[in-house]
Amino acid sequence: MARVHNWQIGREMSYWYPESRPQKQFAAVFDINKCIGCQTCTLACKTTWTSGKGQEYMLWNNVESKPYGCYPLAWDLKLLEMLNGGKWNGKAYEGQTIFESAPAGERVSGWRPDDHDYAYPNVGEDDCTGQVDKGASLSLPHMHWFFYLARICNHCTYPACLASCPRGSIYKRPEDGIVLVDQGRCRGYQECVRGCPYKKVFYNPLTGTSEKCIACFPKIEQGLQPQCFVNCIGKIRLAGWISKPDRARAENPIDYLVHIKKVALPLFPQFGLEPNVYYIPPVHVPPPFLRQMFGPGVDEAIQTYKNAPNDPDLSGLLCLFGSTEMVVPRWRRQGETVFGTDDKGTELVKIPMKEPVYVRAGYDKLYQIARTNCP
Amino acid sequence: MRKTAVIVALSLIWLSGCRRGPARTNEVVAASVGKAPLNPGDSAWEQAPEYLARLLPQDLVDPRLMKPSTPEVLVRSLTNGTDIAFRLQWVDPVANDAPGAGTFVDGCAVQVPKKIEPSAPDPQMGQAGKPVEVAFWRADWQASVNGRGDTIRDLYPNASIDHYPFEAKSLEAGSAAAKEMAMRYAPAWAMGNRRVGPRETPVEDMVAEGPGTLAPAASTTSRGQGVRTKDGWRVVIVRKLPEGLAPKVRTQVAFAVWEGSAQEAGARKMRTGWIPLAVREAK
Ligand code: SF4
Ligand code: SF4
Repeated sequence: MARVHNWQIGREMSYWYPESRPQKQFAAVFDINKCIGCQTCTLACKTTWTSGKGQEYMLWNNVESKPYGCYPLAWDLKLLEMLNGGKWNGKAYEGQTIFESAPAGERVSGWRPDDHDYAYPNVGEDDCTGQVDKGASLSLPHMHWFFYLARICNHCTYPACLASCPRGSIYKRPEDGIVLVDQGRCRGYQECVRGCPYKKVFYNPLTGTSEKCIACFPKIEQGLQPQCFVNCIGKIRLAGWISKPDRARAENPIDYLVHIKKVALPLFPQFGLEPNVYYIPPVHVPPPFLRQMFGPGVDEAIQTYKNAPNDPDLSGLLCLFGSTEMVVPRWRRQGETVFGTDDKGTELVKIPMKEPVYVRAGYDKLYQIARTNCP
Repeated sequence: MRKTAVIVALSLIWLSGCRRGPARTNEVVAASVGKAPLNPGDSAWEQAPEYLARLLPQDLVDPRLMKPSTPEVLVRSLTNGTDIAFRLQWVDPVANDAPGAGTFVDGCAVQVPKKIEPSAPDPQMGQAGKPVEVAFWRADWQASVNGRGDTIRDLYPNASIDHYPFEAKSLEAGSAAAKEMAMRYAPAWAMGNRRVGPRETPVEDMVAEGPGTLAPAASTTSRGQGVRTKDGWRVVIVRKLPEGLAPKVRTQVAFAVWEGSAQEAGARKMRTGWIPLAVREAK
């Protein structure tokens, strides 16, 4: 095992291969507060990539209702149990990662779901932690709650799937950090399925190979965001590129949200993979639950997010989510307008921070029809 | 203890000359009988001596097999001078021949050095510059060869499928356009990965130059057939006689067995080290 640096846990850790960061790292921010659980993303992915034979059960993108939802069953609970919950000391993780806790003979601590574990993809859907009594009034955080957690492969900096494969059939592309299973080389040992703590590699029994989210790389190569991003009804997603914290640039939307504002956090950073999908935590959920899931930055992130109305840059950048199919590597705000540009500063998209409001007469005399105004 | 008693008893029977089973050898001896039969039940197998190969867990490279499973495999071998047939027989009360998520299949393999040399390659999948050839039999492929279909319904009879885009009414069934569309949803097929099939044989020929380097041979020429016995598998693998192997020449052979119910695949397997392999002259 090599020693590598993982900024998300604030320390060095052991990994199967030495540190080798790609020239650019694909990353994403999902604003959980805006997700409506419509599963349009799930279907967008399903129709694009996994409508084949042997892929019937696969959801490269899934959306589960937390706290009870999980696909496959108990994926997160099993891992937390394996790591004894994991112990943080401030921003430094003192517990073991899945690489460090690997038992003798294994490359990572893992487990392999069986077919039944995939049989209930939306278990716990919309299940609240408890009954909200009549007459109760809600304050933040809510006394009873649930939220939607949309999940894709995290295209981790230290992928456990890649580390687990004894054949080296999984690779991380140096040009964009996307993690792929070489479908010509894979022999279906399912070691990656066992190793990925997020359970985002799936075995195809009919092709005999393991398959996973490819971050729609043919689109990324054209400067376009993946299907689950552009089809997102709630406009909760933004794809882009993330720098190392010491190289963060404010004009990079992902850097700004993750490194500068620290409003978006990795999912289970304590696993040790440096996952590259970052979540803006839901403000209505009690922080202890969220800290376990997104690490020690939760309270600060929630504070920052709640303060967005007083923070024109942050609220401006949040307007870029779901505003264009293009990947926006740079952004800037000018007054009430937000610009997304390419690396050279050429405008890709322009968004007003406030939609213009038109109030129409309740009765349209010309067409002789009653009109409704939507706020 | 019981095992030792059985072995002692067997040896006594053998010593008294009233042996009923075949001769046990301390190396794998391929009897030249003018035949390398594919059928595990072929009577020619009666003429082959038997070798008891003790299996060890693969515990040299990660991921390892930490818990031993199949303890031993009985090996017989026959040759016709061109091909060499191995019959592997082991106890495995439950057949695991259906692949699935978290589900693994039974299998076995025969490994020989690519070249007969004074110093043999590393028995664990060979080494750089000293390749080994592996003929690999899998129970799921055997099931396909025996006629099991290749759809999700064949694995999960109650599965219900709404629609596959490549089976849309607008596409003529079996047409090039339908195939191209199906391939889009099966990248391993598009890449020519032989794991996809067609599974006309339950055996695949592979080459390796060390752990993790196993790759398909240019083509599969080996054949195989596996059948269930009352308590396990009996599998014949027929491959080309290693080049240069003849009476008075020795090479090596190694065997591996994968137990599906123990989630064995790839590096997680029971295996032997090198065992001398000789050819016995025709009488
Ligand atoms: S989320 Fe899982 S499948 Fe994706 S890169 Fe990380 S370890 Fe691999
Ligand atoms: S499409 Fe967007 S809003 Fe709908 S479930 Fe997916 S992430 Fe949530």
